[in-house]
Amino acid sequence: MIAMAWTGAFFALCALGMLLAPFVPQRRNPLLVAIAGALASACLCVAGAYALLSGRTVDTTLGLSPLGSTIRFSLDPLSGVFVLITGIVFLATSVFSAGYLQRYLDHYSLKVFTVLYFGLLAAIAAVLLASDVLSFLVAWELMSIGCYLLVNFEHRRDENIRAGYLMLAMGEAGTLAAAVALLLLANAAGSLGFEAIRMNGTRLADGLRWTVFVLSVAGFGVKAGLVPVNSWLPRAHPAAPANVSALLSGVILNLGIYGIVRVNLDLVPPRLAGPGIVLLLVGAISAFLGILYAVTANDMKTLLAHSSIENMGIATTALGAGVVFATTGHQALAAIALVAAFYQLANHSVYKALLFFGAGTVDAYAGTRDLDHLGGLIHRMPWTALFFLIGSLSIAAIYPFSGFSSEWLTLQALLRSAELSSNLVKTAFAFAGVALALTAALAVTCFVKAFAMGFLGMPRSPAAEEAREAPRSMLAPMGALAALCVLLGILPTFVIPALGGALKSVGGASAAHTLVPPFFSHGRPSALPAKFIADFHDLGAQVGQDIVPGRGLVVLHRGGADNPVVFAMATSYGFVVLILLLGGTAFVVRRLTAARRVMREEQWDGGVHQLLPEMTYTATGFSNPVRVIFDAILRPRTVEDTQETVAQHFRVAIVRTREHPHLVDRLVLDVLTAWMAGAAGLLARMHHGKLNAYVAYVLGTLVLFLGIAALR
Amino acid sequence: MTQWVLEGLRAGIRTTRYPFAPETAAGVSPGLPAAGELARPDLERLIARCPTAALASADGRLVVDARRCVHCFRCVRGSDTPAPWQGGYEWATGEGTLGKTFTRSLHIRVVDAGDCGACLHEVKQLAGPYYSLHRLGFFISPTPRQADVLLVVGPGTDQMREALTKAYKAMPTPRTVIAVGTCALSGGVFGSNFACGGGISSILPVDVEVPGNPPPPLAILHALLLATGRAAPAAKERQTAGERMP
Amino acid sequence: MEIPVQRHAQCSRRSLHFEIDCQPQRLVQVCSALSRAGFGFAGLIVEEWQRQWWLRYAFHSLSGSGGKILRRTLAEPPEPADFAPLCSSADWIDVLIRQPLTRTSYPSISSEVLAADWHEREAEDLFELTFEGHPRLGDFVLHDVAWQEGLAPMRKDFNAHTPPSERRPNPAWRPQRIVHEPGSFLMPIGPIYGGVSESVHFTLETVGEDVIRALPRLFYKYRAVEKIAEGRAAPDLLLLAERFNGIAAFAHGLACAQAIETVAGVEPPARALTLRVMLAELERLRHHTGTIHDICESTALTVAASQAAILEEELLRLSGSLTGHRYLFGLLMPGGLSRDFEQHSLADAVRAVQDIARRLTQLERHLVTTSSFLDRLEEVGIVTPALARTYGLVGPVARASGLACDLRRAQPYAAYDAYTFDIPQEQDGDGYARLRVLFAEARQASRILGQAVNMLPDGPVCVACPDIPPGAALGWSEAPVGATFHWIHADEQGRVSRYHIMSPSFANWHGFHLAAEKFAFQDFPIILATFGLSAAETDR
Repeated sequence: MIAMAWTGAFFALCALGMLLAPFVPQRRNPLLVAIAGALASACLCVAGAYALLSGRTVDTTLGLSPLGSTIRFSLDPLSGVFVLITGIVFLATSVFSAGYLQRYLDHYSLKVFTVLYFGLLAAIAAVLLASDVLSFLVAWELMSIGCYLLVNFEHRRDENIRAGYLMLAMGEAGTLAAAVALLLLANAAGSLGFEAIRMNGTRLADGLRWTVFVLSVAGFGVKAGLVPVNSWLPRAHPAAPANVSALLSGVILNLGIYGIVRVNLDLVPPRLAGPGIVLLLVGAISAFLGILYAVTANDMKTLLAHSSIENMGIATTALGAGVVFATTGHQALAAIALVAAFYQLANHSVYKALLFFGAGTVDAYAGTRDLDHLGGLIHRMPWTALFFLIGSLSIAAIYPFSGFSSEWLTLQALLRSAELSSNLVKTAFAFAGVALALTAALAVTCFVKAFAMGFLGMPRSPAAEEAREAPRSMLAPMGALAALCVLLGILPTFVIPALGGALKSVGGASAAHTLVPPFFSHGRPSALPAKFIADFHDLGAQVGQDIVPGRGLVVLHRGGADNPVVFAMATSYGFVVLILLLGGTAFVVRRLTAARRVMREEQWDGGVHQLLPEMTYTATGFSNPVRVIFDAILRPRTVEDTQETVAQHFRVAIVRTREHPHLVDRLVLDVLTAWMAGAAGLLARMHHGKLNAYVAYVLGTLVLFLGIAALR
Repeated sequence: MTQWVLEGLRAGIRTTRYPFAPETAAGVSPGLPAAGELARPDLERLIARCPTAALASADGRLVVDARRCVHCFRCVRGSDTPAPWQGGYEWATGEGTLGKTFTRSLHIRVVDAGDCGACLHEVKQLAGPYYSLHRLGFFISPTPRQADVLLVVGPGTDQMREALTKAYKAMPTPRTVIAVGTCALSGGVFGSNFACGGGISSILPVDVEVPGNPPPPLAILHALLLATGRAAPAAKERQTAGERMP
Repeated sequence: MEIPVQRHAQCSRRSLHFEIDCQPQRLVQVCSALSRAGFGFAGLIVEEWQRQWWLRYAFHSLSGSGGKILRRTLAEPPEPADFAPLCSSADWIDVLIRQPLTRTSYPSISSEVLAADWHEREAEDLFELTFEGHPRLGDFVLHDVAWQEGLAPMRKDFNAHTPPSERRPNPAWRPQRIVHEPGSFLMPIGPIYGGVSESVHFTLETVGEDVIRALPRLFYKYRAVEKIAEGRAAPDLLLLAERFNGIAAFAHGLACAQAIETVAGVEPPARALTLRVMLAELERLRHHTGTIHDICESTALTVAASQAAILEEELLRLSGSLTGHRYLFGLLMPGGLSRDFEQHSLADAVRAVQDIARRLTQLERHLVTTSSFLDRLEEVGIVTPALARTYGLVGPVARASGLACDLRRAQPYAAYDAYTFDIPQEQDGDGYARLRVLFAEARQASRILGQAVNMLPDGPVCVACPDIPPGAALGWSEAPVGATFHWIHADEQGRVSRYHIMSPSFANWHGFHLAAEKFAFQDFPIILATFGLSAAETDR
């Protein structure tokens, strides 16, 4: 009940924020967002952490709906994970907003922002807590609309309106599909409550399972930005304010995955491997296409948006692998894959919020988000640069930062497909593994580009030259998230058991014992079975059993009696070793070169008179090799390629513009749009304004109904 | 691809034995005029024939400033009493200041400061099989950042001054400048004018000088050996016992 | 072997040189008519002569006969209808503009005769003349980051030895950018780059991977050769002609010596003419071997590069042991050669050359069967024949793009009309075509040497060349890179009043971007190597 009390406090604070907003002056509104938002999110964090760590489910009945069903909120460990992640992102975003919102003062109404912001927070929390179909759908719809309004906050710009409209249209179509899926389940169970649906879940027929699966993945997948329903995401992010972008990527995308997990793993326990394969492939394709378009994007926020698709893809791949393992009887492997998926979601929320804050800060204080026009910001925005670098390293899965642990677990889980029997499934796993490996490599390219082109080198525009550092109120949340990135990276031994708890309700097994050997989590090794210890002998894990404090080693083994160790990582100990190595090397180098004089000369430029900013690589130039390699997928469209000459031969301008329309836009969105336009055109033919024709329509309709009545 | 392996093997070893044994093949060096005793009228005629004032008289003897000789051969061809001529190629003067560390591993950045192409071409020959400077631990570096030696050819044009200075500044210490060719030493036929500095010592401190227009590859090799303390500088005055040039 | 008739001794042929006085307003019309008639543009010679500007636009026919020069002067250009008979009879046509010194603005012919583009830019920079209609003047020879605009070093009142006390470089100078594509940037290369390379700067405009626009920036090595030549006597001029571009010293010395001899009215003895051909061909063979070496090296085909380097060094040693100098310095003098060679040493040398040519052919056989090598050259760096013609490219580069222009055939000099040789030609215009032309020309060089050594006339190698009288003449030769022209104008004291070198690299650098653009970065060094360009030859 404690968890529910904290949740109640959260809702109360959100309501307070909404109520106060109109009465607080415009310039005080950011402060309101920060204080009330921070307090509210802190409450949410506590509730989530409590639910996750206690492993208990708390239920509350709020009353009866107009339809006669009970409205129930429940906080189980699965919700707890998402609530905790959400709370952390809310907390950071609320604090960040205090400084960031200043740029909208005098341009847009901050009172409206505050009201919408708290409304969105409450709606998101409600989605996670809802425990019956009706309240879930209502909360979901509120969240969708709130999100649309906030993304469209800068509503005086045409492209934002278009982006918001696409987002709303796709979101509503998704909601419809998800609603149908949930109602089908409710219909089968005869009740709108999740509890009843869950009880009925195991008895569902395969056909219904597939229908529910397809509808829910298509519906919730829109919010998660999975291919092929991702088109709105890269458009919405550049339009949204940075703090809303952080919420969008850090929280709302997670809700999509939450929906998929809730329906397909919790309400309907998996029995078929097919949906797992579908998830695996959808995830792998999303990951690859996401990162491919991220590499080629030059707008920092577009780049981050595409990279969100990639990260959701990785999580979905792990989820798919988990489903396949679970349905083929590999409970331990399933748990590992699901832990990897949740770990990926948690990491992504943290570093993507951080990166969006960074992009927003750059946008606000360097005047542009276009990487081609940035450069050299590290000199003027050192802290932003540091935090953005940590975010970039994390998302690029570089040890010892957070992305490494989850991506490594995901890839290892995919490698364990050797345990499976079906060759077809193995092939699917191999494909996903290759796609993810390629994705990981491109992610490094992508974030080297994002960081190097933005923060290193010379400023390539006057705006970048005059950049200045953000205020502390904006740096502090970034710093906190950066610290979290490091912690999530070096302490997987603490994160995995916590996440493992959440999986009890979905996977059935816990990964904690499979992944974190109980050497360090369960007291003295002498308490363990001798056979278990013997299995780890070769790895040398027992060497440190008495001297190494705390947990530091993640070991995956097959589980069961034999425990053949297949891989291990020691991120915590490795971190210590890394620090010692770097420090030691620095010390030795410094000692050895102490007697030497250091000369500082300009960089070698081949002897040109002056190295100009335009002589340095641009973001486009940096990513051009990728563009050339993946030309067949990217299919650049030449918009313009002209030469201007004077005096017959002298070129004065070579103008070239190229577009890279997204593969999904080309293959899906454009086709759909064309069909819709065609259908609308057909319908429009009926509206030609001739009175006698309308009379004929009325008459025809009347005859039709009479005919139907007569048949009955 | 195998054909290239065979082809390479078939060519055999062509590399000169220098500095372990003198190179005696014909055509490796144009030689230089040498000092000597001459009758006064002949001496004056010879000195007048020299377009770059490389010849002078000291106490009635002919003395040669090799740093100025442009190989016009006027002192030996079309003259009734030709100047003494001497082959050889160990012409470099100056001293290596790098110290022992670099004796067996030296990285060289070659800079063209207005060269006619001949000196540069002779430096290029050094990397070929006949001279193979790598066998002696010398390497051509693409950047001055990793170079110990700045090997400069050409008279030092005004418009290369900035790049040359930048390259020198970009080098870590200790560093050595080797000026290669008559143009780099004295300006050669270009002398000193508004566009061209009459030798690169007006731009950089020169440690080792290699005369010759152009100096043959072996002379440049000698300069590199000199810079690393592996060879002695050329004698102050070459001996008179020179061969006759046709 | 077929032994052709030794015609040059009879001197019955006449080379017809026209000089057309032209008013500035008719200049563009006349020049474009000559260009359309197929005349090659040799260069623009600007002179400050007798308180007048003399602008001489030199054109040469591509099918001259050589021989004794016959001069004709036309007081004004013919009417357009009469161009055809003029063009069919003339070997050389100089369009001459004479205007008072106060007039510093002249029409630009570059839009009609594109080959004149850089010539006009050079004249603008060095003489401060303006060419109306030329879109790109300023910062060419004299870099704006080193010198002020408005400095005219080639004018008579500029003293080359007391440099201007005041220097006002323009620090705001920026390389011009013409590529407008999101994310485009400049890639600076040089002037100090690569391993052992001449000082040239390239500005490549790109968005990564492909070069969209290549802009070579030359004259880092500007030594003011033409300025310091002024006031020199003829033999000292030859010293400069040989030493401003050492790797083609003999070809440039030859063009200069022939110009001096034309002014002086001296005919070198027959033996000297034949020996000049032999030495020029020896130099061509060595130069082409060097270019082949560079091409192999640029494709990282080390063994082939080493093979070429061996042949190159052997040719250098051969030159050294035969003539006393590895780069053939000090051999030419007005009136002939500074030394004779013994028949047996010549015969030995030619045998050695033929052996080297044979090994070169063997190298070619190996190269053309190495697919990894050909991949880097084929269809890379393409210059179409039409563009090669428009830009007035010369030498092996032009011949690889289907232009049959070779001064040895088009305007024979020395004893070239006495020998049978082919002008190799390719149509593809790519890097591989240029390589094939180089190999073929190397073979032809050996073939000419073989013929020459067998029909070497006896006699002296030099006639006395008196102090040169006042007068002016153009000397030309086919240097290894292509056609070169040396203009000498001597004053009353027999001193040089104006010396102008129109070099083949100058012409080919102008069109280099044609090959480099639209290809990837990694092709750039290879394309550069196949052009075999020299910066020293251009910068002077």
